[in-house]
Amino acid sequence: MAGIQPVSQSSALALPIGADSRSVWFASPLVLKVVAGMALLALWEIVVRSLAPAYVARPSGIVRVFFSVMQDAQFLAAAGATLWAVVEGLFISLAAGIATGFLMGRVKVIEYGLRYYVNSLFATPMVAILPLVSLWFGYSGDARLAVVVFASFFSVTINACDGARSVPPEYLEVAQSFRARRLSTFLDIVLPSSLPYLLAGARLAAGRALIGAVVAEFFLSIPGLGYYILYNSRIFKHNEAFVAVILLIATGVGFEALLKWLTRRYMPWARRG
Amino acid sequence: MNRQANWIRYATVGASLLAGAIVWEVAGHLTSGAFWAPLSATLKSLADLARTGVLLRQGANSFELYVTGLAIAIAVGAPFGLLLARLPWLRVALEDYIMVLYATPMVALIPFILSIMGFGFAPKVLVVFLFAVFPVLYNTIEGARSIRPELVEVAHSFRSSEWQLWRDVMIPYTLSFTMTGIRQAIARGLVGMVVAEFFLSPSGLGQMIMTGSQNFDTAGMLAAIFVIVLLGVGLMDFGRFIEKRFAAWRGYSP
Repeated sequence: MAGIQPVSQSSALALPIGADSRSVWFASPLVLKVVAGMALLALWEIVVRSLAPAYVARPSGIVRVFFSVMQDAQFLAAAGATLWAVVEGLFISLAAGIATGFLMGRVKVIEYGLRYYVNSLFATPMVAILPLVSLWFGYSGDARLAVVVFASFFSVTINACDGARSVPPEYLEVAQSFRARRLSTFLDIVLPSSLPYLLAGARLAAGRALIGAVVAEFFLSIPGLGYYILYNSRIFKHNEAFVAVILLIATGVGFEALLKWLTRRYMPWARRG
Repeated sequence: MNRQANWIRYATVGASLLAGAIVWEVAGHLTSGAFWAPLSATLKSLADLARTGVLLRQGANSFELYVTGLAIAIAVGAPFGLLLARLPWLRVALEDYIMVLYATPMVALIPFILSIMGFGFAPKVLVVFLFAVFPVLYNTIEGARSIRPELVEVAHSFRSSEWQLWRDVMIPYTLSFTMTGIRQAIARGLVGMVVAEFFLSPSGLGQMIMTGSQNFDTAGMLAAIFVIVLLGVGLMDFGRFIEKRFAAWRGYSP
């Protein structure tokens, strides 16, 4: 049941509360959003300028350094290293997690055997095992990959297990009546009907993987976006460091948007996330 | 049939837990002490930590941080979400930004917090707060968006006052969504707690893990990790429980 949020797909203004003419007096939602965004940036700028020391990141400072940072070879290498580790780890987690989860969902004995381990490791903040991982893999990219996999594997597994169990039994009975092969039963029935669950799992896993990579870089001091942020904030270059934060946010939001689009485009019937 | 199925279930669960314990123990004896410690050594270390009072002191330390951060997150997130529910224009203006912050990996902000606020209790509370507040806010807004306009219209037709509208429509309707948010916040806040204890001033259970790893006291480190695993499981079950408790009138099971 993890990682399922009630998400209504309705557009922002479809169901306004008290939708009378008084409460909707503005021109258009887009204008409102842009104005609010500019107000938030202005607030940030003013608060930092008047209250905080000069090195603290603020919008004008970030804009000033943005393009030079984006062209900096060191920054690009760091971004590549982190994002590559996240992608690689996510692929490993998805492959291994879907396999494990489906086995758990379809074979009772395996589920009873693994449920406690998977559930409790899913509930564990993966940060807690960082020192252990650094002992096993050393201060290297492998340790970061291990943290990313550990952070994302269990959310994929739990959702894949729920998905495999959600297959309507009638479908399986029909397949059995027609003597369908196991592989075609799997590819044509189990996989498609659990896709929404897998997407929910992938969404949750991606967020956790990103956090895992950044935390691992903080802890292990290996080149990557997390370390770039840590290093630059230590030498009081907060504006430069914040560009890396923006890239991380864009990655998280971009992945979320991609999954939403995929769901709407190819699985309009799916009501989950 | 049913009784037999139950029997198989308990036998399998028991066998798998026993197998896990044996693997843990054997792996500890086969590898170097710096890599992994046997279950027996870990439990002994845990007992020592409990007896000397270290576990209780550090646990209370962590708990204080966790509860403070989580309480502030709920106290800020839920009312603010409700306010956005009542004021559609404000919600439309802010909801995209809240969603972006909901998807932001908050760990990335820790170096800034460290460098601006330094060491102490307040920056750590801020970290737990940042981890926990956006799930509460985001889910409350989702709930607010799904309030049926008829409900508000009927309330208006009967000339219900602002306070009555909140008490009888807004709060009951969004509460179950807020509880989903709180369930997520409970889990995220725990991550925030451990991260804060690692990277800001070391304290609590996070410090116990760190000290264990620095002194190559693997058994001590595993004992602390074990406590965090138990804490995570307990808190997640607690979160599910309160979510279920308040999901009864949502109309569909979450």
